[in-house]
Amino acid sequence: MTGLDKTSHLVRRSSRLRHHTLRRCAAVFALTPRIKRQEMAATGEPNDLSSEMELDAFRRLFPIRFHERHLLESIRPDGRPLGRARDTTLMLGAVASANGSALAKIGCTTMLAAIKMEVMTPTAEVPDEGCIAIDFHMPPICSPLVRPGRPAEVAPVISKQLSDTILSSGMINLKELCLVSGKAAWMAYLDIYCLDADGALFDAALLSAVAAFSHLQIPVVSLNDDGRIVLISDDISGAMKEKEPVNKETTKLKLNNLPFSLTCVLHKNYILADPTSEEESIMETFLTVVLDSSFQLVSLNKPGGPGLAHTSAIQDCITLTRQRVKELEKILKEAISDMEVD
Amino acid sequence: MAGKSSATPTTYSPSLTGQKKKRPSFLTDSDWVRPDGRGPHQCRPAFLRTGAVNSASGSAYAEFGNTKVIVSVYGPRESKKAMMYSDTGRLNCNVSYTTFATPIRGQAPETKDLSSMLHKALEGAIILKSFPKTTVDVFALVLESGGSDLPVITTCASLALADAGIMLYDMVASVSVSSIGKNLLIDPVSEEESYQDGSLMITCMPSRNEVTQMTVTGEWSTPKIHEAMQLCLDACSKLGKIMRSCLKEAASGPQD
Repeated sequence: MTGLDKTSHLVRRSSRLRHHTLRRCAAVFALTPRIKRQEMAATGEPNDLSSEMELDAFRRLFPIRFHERHLLESIRPDGRPLGRARDTTLMLGAVASANGSALAKIGCTTMLAAIKMEVMTPTAEVPDEGCIAIDFHMPPICSPLVRPGRPAEVAPVISKQLSDTILSSGMINLKELCLVSGKAAWMAYLDIYCLDADGALFDAALLSAVAAFSHLQIPVVSLNDDGRIVLISDDISGAMKEKEPVNKETTKLKLNNLPFSLTCVLHKNYILADPTSEEESIMETFLTVVLDSSFQLVSLNKPGGPGLAHTSAIQDCITLTRQRVKELEKILKEAISDMEVD
Repeated sequence: MAGKSSATPTTYSPSLTGQKKKRPSFLTDSDWVRPDGRGPHQCRPAFLRTGAVNSASGSAYAEFGNTKVIVSVYGPRESKKAMMYSDTGRLNCNVSYTTFATPIRGQAPETKDLSSMLHKALEGAIILKSFPKTTVDVFALVLESGGSDLPVITTCASLALADAGIMLYDMVASVSVSSIGKNLLIDPVSEEESYQDGSLMITCMPSRNEVTQMTVTGEWSTPKIHEAMQLCLDACSKLGKIMRSCLKEAASGPQD
């Protein structure tokens, strides 16, 4: 082994230990009774081991107590106040082989969305409308819980939620996707890949999807003699230019009412905005609010969970979402203007 | 859902107007240029970063031209229940493509054989004895396929393993060469790969000078194989240096 391999091994050792959860816990469990006895003698408070135990061990053994101690101080383990979302970044045009794409990052949660435009024959019922097919993927790289051949249960749920939200928000007028009425229309395949899962997956996925649509550049095409749609490229000589492009003015979709979302965790009387995966695994009552840019409610989703939501809690979540929508709109605007500068 | 309202309509991706597929100029001309303007023995600029995926034990992102790959390493962790006891560790590899990785949607190559090739390329470099009874999972996702996919995946996976602190005999670097007509093109892009007469790929541990995997397909003459091997080995040792400097940078940078 070379020197370098050794150093890199040492550097990463601490993070490797984090993943040996099972074994470490077992070891600490074996110690617990002794710690407890010592503490009872010392302080007479049998239930709070936090002062006696290594912080990391306490966090793993008593996750709820660990988090509740933070909540009492109105702060979260990562230093955020309860109502604040994590830092969010957006990058447009991440995938060169797609017609529109965006990379969204909320904290460590990373989503890559890309749109590919293909041509289809519209159905007889709606001859002048195109289609959007939305798919959300969680490949095994994104989380230790997903293994190849054993897909994550949440993936199809989020997929459905995303397509319901995007199609019902009225963001895209499907008529704009029509090429030749009754003959040809665009099918927009939107695929969203989760590259790193650390909570609030739906929020990040929706953000990347909306950003990918704002980056989407529809190719200019024409109808050839066989009735097929073909691309018109810029560098082709005059002979080809005789064909009239069928979609000259609609290379960019008009997007109205962009939907943005915020997921909150409800725990007792606390509301935690934008949970990490650790928080999601410990406190299991979620509420996702989707508002559009004019603050109209697009969707409100509370998928059961052990906790019940008071009307006031729902109103507080909506207030938090309103603030978040403003933030996200600004982030999207900046990403678009960054794109234009490049 | 719109896409599923009727029997899913068949779709096609619009192609360029009536252009016949002609063999690109670099095949016929003696004075040819590669599609991206490189010299024949020049690799694409490599961009490597570790720590791309926070929830993994180790991860790396590699970008060689338009080929973009993320690899996550999980473990060493408990082997599947059905596995027999083993006093050496196990390596599990999986490669997948995004639906938008290829120019035409959903035309990703067969990934089962890529997974097994990746497994075989890495197996020899990992000190499996250092994690008995457990499994290390290496998962690769090709975000964009731009040619020489397998060598990039292998290189990136080796970097992710080092990032995860898995004990290695050495880093693994991999480079391929395409033979087209009289020419040898190193680190081919997809277009070149589709016209190649033969291909040679070497995966090696540069500082030990040991080859873990070598594949030769297509038409080759012996002197050409020698030349191609030399090219690959040289490129691997250079790539190895880039990988090392990437790890050093990550180790000296701010820790989390």
